[in-house]
Amino acid sequence: MKAEMQQSSRFTLNEISRKKLFTKEVVLRILLYLGVFLVLVIVLAPYLWMVSGSFKTSLEIQAADVTRPDLEPRWIPRTFTLENYAKINKTVPMLDYFRNSIIISLGTMFFSIIISITAAYALSRYNFKGKTAVTLGVASTQLFPGIAFLIPYFILFTLINRYFGIQLRNTYPGMILTYTTFAIPFSILMLRNFLDTVPREIDEQAQIDGCSPLGALFRVIIPLSAPGIVAVGIYSFIMAWNEVLFASILTGRATKTVAVGILEYITQQQSRWSQMMAACIIISIPVLLLFTFMQRYIVEGIVSGATKG
Amino acid sequence: MLSKAKGTRRAYWFILPAALCMLFVHFIPIIWGAYISLLDLDVYTLTQWTSAPFVKLGNYIKLFSGKFAVGQRFLRSVYNVFVYGLVTIPVGYIIGLLVALLLNRNFVGRTFVRGIILLPYITPDSVAYNVWRFIFQARIGLVNKYLLKFGLIQEPLVWLVGKRALTAVIIASIWKGWPFACLILLAGLQGIPAELYEAAKIDGASVWQQFKMITLPMLAPVTKTLLLLNVIWNFHAYNQFYILLGGSVGEAHVPSTFIMQEAFTNLHYGMGSAMSVVLMILIVILIAILLRSKRRASYES
Repeated sequence: MKAEMQQSSRFTLNEISRKKLFTKEVVLRILLYLGVFLVLVIVLAPYLWMVSGSFKTSLEIQAADVTRPDLEPRWIPRTFTLENYAKINKTVPMLDYFRNSIIISLGTMFFSIIISITAAYALSRYNFKGKTAVTLGVASTQLFPGIAFLIPYFILFTLINRYFGIQLRNTYPGMILTYTTFAIPFSILMLRNFLDTVPREIDEQAQIDGCSPLGALFRVIIPLSAPGIVAVGIYSFIMAWNEVLFASILTGRATKTVAVGILEYITQQQSRWSQMMAACIIISIPVLLLFTFMQRYIVEGIVSGATKG
Repeated sequence: MLSKAKGTRRAYWFILPAALCMLFVHFIPIIWGAYISLLDLDVYTLTQWTSAPFVKLGNYIKLFSGKFAVGQRFLRSVYNVFVYGLVTIPVGYIIGLLVALLLNRNFVGRTFVRGIILLPYITPDSVAYNVWRFIFQARIGLVNKYLLKFGLIQEPLVWLVGKRALTAVIIASIWKGWPFACLILLAGLQGIPAELYEAAKIDGASVWQQFKMITLPMLAPVTKTLLLLNVIWNFHAYNQFYILLGGSVGEAHVPSTFIMQEAFTNLHYGMGSAMSVVLMILIVILIAILLRSKRRASYES
């Protein structure tokens, strides 16, 4: 009898604690989803504001006033318009800048891939004197901010133009050279890590089969490391697309990229916010597309670079 | 199979293009910049730059004597970049860690949310900071709209000019910067073996104890890497100030923006180079300290 009672009380106790655990679980779940929701709101709010701004009339934005409830800026446009997208090229030659950015970014992507795959191949496959020094030299370029070499680099461009008659400022080759060099240190290190995972026997076998070392690189290694190469190419493209500091000094009317061109919507006289927001959306599209396309490889590369380093 | 010397020579050929590029864009300018910093080079002497007066350490003396406005403003910009880093790095880390812990749990739509939080990180600087510039506008901006609505202020605040400019940049930078920390920390969290937590649970450790005794120590290596990267990038800060404040940085100068103004608006290239050299020395010292403490910590463990 006593034993039975004990058992039943233990049973109810168990049930109570299970119920408690269950409610605790539910509360935790709710908190989890609330937290996720909060994160999403904080991340997405500026994007929603950008999209909403791009569909507003410039009049609506100019007339907005936070102190007057009837005129306060709203999330939903009062009058919905596509004018900002249609007029994107009217006040600022955005399409020209877009073309400049495409040319410079594609050029950077191409040269960065070629230059970094050969260097990465040497670092991964050969033992030579000064290998550590080269690796350290490559890594050290990431340490200093662009401003540390922008001034002498600018003067170098000026002097080259004077003494050799080669114009590098405000030209596509000059910008491509600059951005290619910005992209290669990270690209070399990333590709070297990638090539280290491709077994050495494969290229040795190719050379035994009669390939020259360069042939082995192009016929065997490059196809095998395609994901790494694509990731490096996209990284280089995005870097050139987004760069601001050097572009603001070294590009002029003929080569200005979208990253600095977009600032022209706001002048001392007029702020064209709605057009600028439309332009913001348009210039983000290539970057977002490329990133989504290659997200896995890029994220892997960044994460392994950071966690190994 | 291949003679060693031949292989070595080939390796040099493979590296040559990359080496030439980096020599031309990075190394020659950095060394040459150190030389330019000893000249009184401005727009008048630029055309005949070889005849620019050699002032030896004149530019550096101007920077540190305390008698010249340019020196005081430069020191102020260095102070600003430290304030900026001391706020953005820890806050970005804490938000990144909290969200990483959140995303490390199982819930519906986790992959989707993980993709979304990367958005600020991949959005071009000139897009993100221009949108924030729009948000921070005094009369038409979102920030003032909600501050007024919640009764936190009575008058719209001017964010992008004057004393609040640095705060505005810090807020926008944290928004843009935390997803990177989160990405790295999430990878770190996923590298922690589940057995550790199971063992701790059997031993009766509370959630907080598990976090303190397992999660934090296991995240130490990635945290140190993150810290190193963030300290380096902190001194690269330029875009957020230049874009958000629309080129008129005013009181909120950091070294990059101030050197830009001194060199390319006031056209004092020599002085600009001197400030760049000081900045580089500062970075090297800080990184040396960090690496040293990192090495010591790894010896201890």
